Amino acid sequence: MTDRLRRVGRRLAVGVRRVLRVARWESARASGGVDRRTLAAGVALLLVAGGVVGVGVATGVAGLDVDQDVYRVGVDGESPYTDAIEEAPSLRPVSARSASLGDSADAVVVTVVRPGAGDDGSIDAADVEEVVVRASDTRKGEAAAASVREAVAAHNERLMRAEPNQTAAFPVVVTLRYVGRTTGVDDGATLGGSGGGSTDGPDGGGGGSDGPDGTGDGGDGTGDGGSGESSTGDGSATDGLGSADGSTESDDDGFAVPSIGGGAFGASTVGSPGSITPPFPFTSLLLAFAFLVPMNFLIQAYGSSILDERTNRRGEPLLVTPLSPAEIVAGKTLPYAAAAAVVTSLIALVVGGGPLSVVAVAPVAATFLGATFVGAMFARSFKELTFVTVGVSVLLTTYAFVPAIFTNVTPVALVSPLTLVVFDLQGEAVSTGEVLFSTAPMGLGAALLFGLGLGVYREEDMFSQKPVTRKFLDALAVRLSPIPARRGIGGGLLDRDRLRALGSVALLTACTLPFVFVAELLAVAVLFALPVTVSIPVLLVTIAFIEEVAKSVGLYAGFERGVFGRIGGDPAGDGGATGDGHGALRVALAVGIASGTGFFLAEKATAVVQAVGLTDLFIGRAAFADVAGLSGLPPLALAALFFAPLVLHAVTTSVASVGASRGRTAYALALTLATLGHAAYNVGVVGLG
Amino acid sequence: MIEVSGLRKTYGDFAAVVDSDFAVDDGEVFGIVGPNGAGKTTTLKIIAGLVEPTDGEVTVAGFDASDPEMRRHLGFLPEESPLYEEMTARSYLRFFADLYDVPREVADERIGAALDRLELDHRERRLGDVSKGMKRKVAIARSLVNDPDVLVYDEPASGLDPVTTNSVLAFTRELRETGKTVVFSAHNLYHVESVCDRVVVMNEGRIVARGSVDGIRERHGETTYQVFTDVEPTATPALADLDATTEEVGDRYRTTVPSMDAVDAVREAVGDAGGEVVDIRSREPSLEDVFLDIVGRPMPGRYTGDRGGDGTGAESDADGDGNETSETATTEATE
Repeated sequence: MTDRLRRVGRRLAVGVRRVLRVARWESARASGGVDRRTLAAGVALLLVAGGVVGVGVATGVAGLDVDQDVYRVGVDGESPYTDAIEEAPSLRPVSARSASLGDSADAVVVTVVRPGAGDDGSIDAADVEEVVVRASDTRKGEAAAASVREAVAAHNERLMRAEPNQTAAFPVVVTLRYVGRTTGVDDGATLGGSGGGSTDGPDGGGGGSDGPDGTGDGGDGTGDGGSGESSTGDGSATDGLGSADGSTESDDDGFAVPSIGGGAFGASTVGSPGSITPPFPFTSLLLAFAFLVPMNFLIQAYGSSILDERTNRRGEPLLVTPLSPAEIVAGKTLPYAAAAAVVTSLIALVVGGGPLSVVAVAPVAATFLGATFVGAMFARSFKELTFVTVGVSVLLTTYAFVPAIFTNVTPVALVSPLTLVVFDLQGEAVSTGEVLFSTAPMGLGAALLFGLGLGVYREEDMFSQKPVTRKFLDALAVRLSPIPARRGIGGGLLDRDRLRALGSVALLTACTLPFVFVAELLAVAVLFALPVTVSIPVLLVTIAFIEEVAKSVGLYAGFERGVFGRIGGDPAGDGGATGDGHGALRVALAVGIASGTGFFLAEKATAVVQAVGLTDLFIGRAAFADVAGLSGLPPLALAALFFAPLVLHAVTTSVASVGASRGRTAYALALTLATLGHAAYNVGVVGLG
Repeated sequence: MIEVSGLRKTYGDFAAVVDSDFAVDDGEVFGIVGPNGAGKTTTLKIIAGLVEPTDGEVTVAGFDASDPEMRRHLGFLPEESPLYEEMTARSYLRFFADLYDVPREVADERIGAALDRLELDHRERRLGDVSKGMKRKVAIARSLVNDPDVLVYDEPASGLDPVTTNSVLAFTRELRETGKTVVFSAHNLYHVESVCDRVVVMNEGRIVARGSVDGIRERHGETTYQVFTDVEPTATPALADLDATTEEVGDRYRTTVPSMDAVDAVREAVGDAGGEVVDIRSREPSLEDVFLDIVGRPMPGRYTGDRGGDGTGAESDADGDGNETSETATTEATE
């Protein structure tokens, strides 16, 4: 045992050493491939881009107003509006006496005295003073007048906030609570929570202060004039207002209102109803996006390096060294992964992110690299590689960025690891389950992408000009083993070789699960905005299709590449493939059942995520949880429910497998049939639920 | 040193190599000859462990060809040798020495010796800036950095100028002196003839002849005799039976015949015509002639359906001992 461990350790050490060697040379080669002028131009571009982003961020965060002193407003020094205008950044007060409308001023604040009851023409108590804003008859004048009105409103609000008696200042208090579209978060899910601020339990959707009729119950809680907080009888929290600095906190449960974005970009939680904007963590999102920008440069260099090995067969000599393809690829990837880690850490340092940001971005970077690796292995030219890298950039940036926009709106946002970055930048706590939920699919997906690419990292595929689809099928088929023919009646049905071959089928299908997971969540994210009557049926069919493709595409590759014998065709060379009609049908059914079983087991393996608390999330429950009311069922019914998906997967995949064994058209038809069957099952399950 | 048995490689329905068997001895320079698409490169790549055979076994230096450990004993030179053009010759070779775990001092010594012998200048210049011949030499040096027992060279002198070609061929001959086993492919038969001890001739995936160069020549080539006369020989039935051909060359006539008996018949015919024999020359066949003789005949189709061992495949055993002749060989090529 010790010897074995020692051997494994030694082999591992050798592997690491080889990887590091390739990495070292790859770094030297990559740096040698860029001449100094190009490098200087690249650095200059980066600096410019960084400067633009920096200025943008500084503008938002540090309050560098670009609209400073845009309008000149004439106002007398003793006018009560002077303060309001002076405090408005966009307005520059000028003396009303010397102001000439349209010339030295865009607007003028004047006090007009209207005659009262006395009609002697003199000013008396009955006369009425009226403040009028006169603006030049230009678009700028109109804008200046509007700015004056806004400045006065803001000034008034500040005055009201400064009032010691807040109840008098704000006789009606409205507490805003942003809740998700689903009800699952109401039980205290931590998504978006500000950590520790929650004081109330589930509100059950009733009696909360967020309804139109719930606005009056907080009034009595603010009578202390301080920053008091009262709990209403229904358990929901209603914040008091007016802490010493005039700011307030919204420490309600559920979806916390962002502090960073709100503060910097106008989304506020306190004020008159007209000035309150929905939560939108703009600054955090912008900063989170900064993590993605370097990836796009990185994958260009990485993809070029991989394709460079393939064009003109430069990488062929590497394949005759004692290094395995995995060691070569790991060595070639390591410098780029390290660069991504360093850049991510630096960005995190600059924008104020912590280790969570780095951990969250790591699988994104790995997926960028993994997808680029597969693309570079499949592309036949640099032209195709360009399409691949652009596609990878757009797709992954969209996948990472768009859900993060809904960081404080819906749990689906956690589909993207970038949401974790937004949370990190907002200083909000996230649970381990949320981190795993957000990062594991992408991390696993990246690993599988590298595995897929490694399938064609061999002489026969690397240097050939096969179409992408053929290479994709090659990459899948290389992971499969031929199903040995049965030896004798009843003998060898489950012998070791057959089991191993069927196991390779099950494993290949199981490996598709992260992609299925991501694709299904993406489908949910895309469809959730549609009306339920449309989105649910479409979603059920889409999910059925995704799963049926995932289960059967490997089998199709196996039949296409001759790993399995085709029905009605000759086996493609090796003795393992069964060519006669009955034998081929048996193989098709066997691999179909194996694939369905692999998928079922992988699905059940995701139950592990429950152990780490993923199902605290509504979406986690939706994806993995049990059917409600199971506890009351007898064991037989429970077993039937548990194994029903196994039967489904085995049957539908067998149908698709038989189609795949007969050719492309038959596969397409069988896949359609399997999808419809699967969708019908889904509809049935939803109906039962 | 190398054993190949029952080797077969198919791509779908296409058979690149069919039922190849041969063995290469220690310290031998072994040639694989054939036209483009004959299966030479595929065979070499299978030996180098780059391509997995569909069927058959290949062992190199006692290891299965698919065993990564085998690659420590092998140096491979592909048909094309694009290098990492941003590296210098020395750094490129050091990189590969590193991958073979060769200590730096030993690597530098080997690299220096190989580059000296190959007369490679500009060692510190980027490889993108050196000539094709220089690149080929660097690639050859790369195949030697791990001091392998077996060298597999695919068309090592292809596309090079005559000076570099001679240099490369001379270097290959020297490798034999140092005890290396070299498997060498070429479609330029002069290269094979000048370097190899034994050859196999491949055509359309099959080995169609094998043995020493001289043995193959003897078996497949015919020594011809050219009889120069001052008059045209009389067209006698005897001459027609001897398959003689006569051409007018300047003020003489040249009659080519396959044997000395035929020469006598020509002499007699010329005498009957009132003339006399001016000169007689013999001409040995080149490997080129042998090759054309072998592969110039109609061969079976290239698809597996036609290559099912139906006995139409033909192979000659130039050694004459019958040991290396495959079962499907007929006497067609040896007759």
